Amino acid sequence: MSSRSAISAVVLLSAGLLTATEPLTKEQIKSAVLSEAITIPTPGEFFSAMDEQGQPNWTQMFAPKPAGVTASREQMALMLGVLVADGYIAVEAQDGQGVKNTGKEIINLAKKLNVSQSVISRGNSINDFAENNDWSALREELEATQNEVKLSMAEQKDKDLVILVTVGAWIRGTQVASDFISKNYSPGLAGLLRQPAIVEYLLAELGKTPERVQKDTLITEVQHKLQSILDLIHTKDRTPPGPEAVNTLSSTMDSLIDEIAKGHKDS
Amino acid sequence: MKTLGILLLSASILSAQETTDSRDRSTARSRVLELASAFANDGFKIRDGYWSGVLEKGKPQVLEVNLFSGNAYWFSAAALAPAKKLSVTLFDESGRPVDGKSYQDGTTAAAGLIPDASGRYFVRLELVEGDKADFCLVYSYK
Repeated sequence: MSSRSAISAVVLLSAGLLTATEPLTKEQIKSAVLSEAITIPTPGEFFSAMDEQGQPNWTQMFAPKPAGVTASREQMALMLGVLVADGYIAVEAQDGQGVKNTGKEIINLAKKLNVSQSVISRGNSINDFAENNDWSALREELEATQNEVKLSMAEQKDKDLVILVTVGAWIRGTQVASDFISKNYSPGLAGLLRQPAIVEYLLAELGKTPERVQKDTLITEVQHKLQSILDLIHTKDRTPPGPEAVNTLSSTMDSLIDEIAKGHKDS
Repeated sequence: MKTLGILLLSASILSAQETTDSRDRSTARSRVLELASAFANDGFKIRDGYWSGVLEKGKPQVLEVNLFSGNAYWFSAAALAPAKKLSVTLFDESGRPVDGKSYQDGTTAAAGLIPDASGRYFVRLELVEGDKADFCLVYSYK
């Protein structure tokens, strides 16, 4: 029996059994594992949920900001994350050339951060999949590229920068989502922005970076703005953020993207 | 000289153990990807990231995830021998079990849900029968 038919035969033990399951204890919740590679969703997941609840015009939304010249590795890491999110937007827009251009920019920036050859070969795969309009494979390849970049950074003692790639991708994903939702508000769509656990995780990880990273003016600004939006999206009883909160979130994310994309004083 | 010999032997034993551990994790990952590929046939995209480790009977492990309403999810897990039976259960952010679909076949198991609200959820992985073993968990969404 194939695994698919086996699953069809056995699936659906479901509701009756689950309701008999004991809830998690407070201790189990407190000691739950947080693994960045799986606890933090990809921009692709976020965009997939938006597709289910609205009709975003991804072609219009694919408007990458040209990255300013910088010598700051922190800023480059944030920009790398922004580019990964841009890659997902280009995939949603089914813009093959846009994906190729973004892939090229990701690899160029990754080279500046001295990542390994294995990351660079990912660029070729992105090109091949974009050439064949294989959008599903591209989503997986973008995540794999991001993970490979992070692994390579960690291996070459740039472990402190890994979280910045995740932060950059989250900011860009939230910027395009909140911009769309602010213009097309519905409680269902706004509910997607209710991600306090993610922001808390990002802030906690940023708080663990060395003093040198935290003293960087851009990183200080990122921390300050993430902290400022936490109350907006930490709604009670899982209620979605209201229109005003979404507008504030959108303008906060816009200003952060401007800061990340502009040239750095140290360049 | 004798000390150096012992050190070298210890290092080679540790290195062999690391290689075995890494091979076991890789085998567990291959098995779980095989299970997850069944859901991929239904349009689910498999995340590249995964969670792996060692699971013991009576010591369930809990993972925090962040899900979006509107998406559908499957969390798939596989363990190696001497594990015999595995279970995957999903909980909402307050720790209450959530209704959904489940699959269990010996050392592979999966749980699926369509969240009614976006936010934090928990995945509990439990060794129901068998002894301490390596596991790997991945998730898919559409």
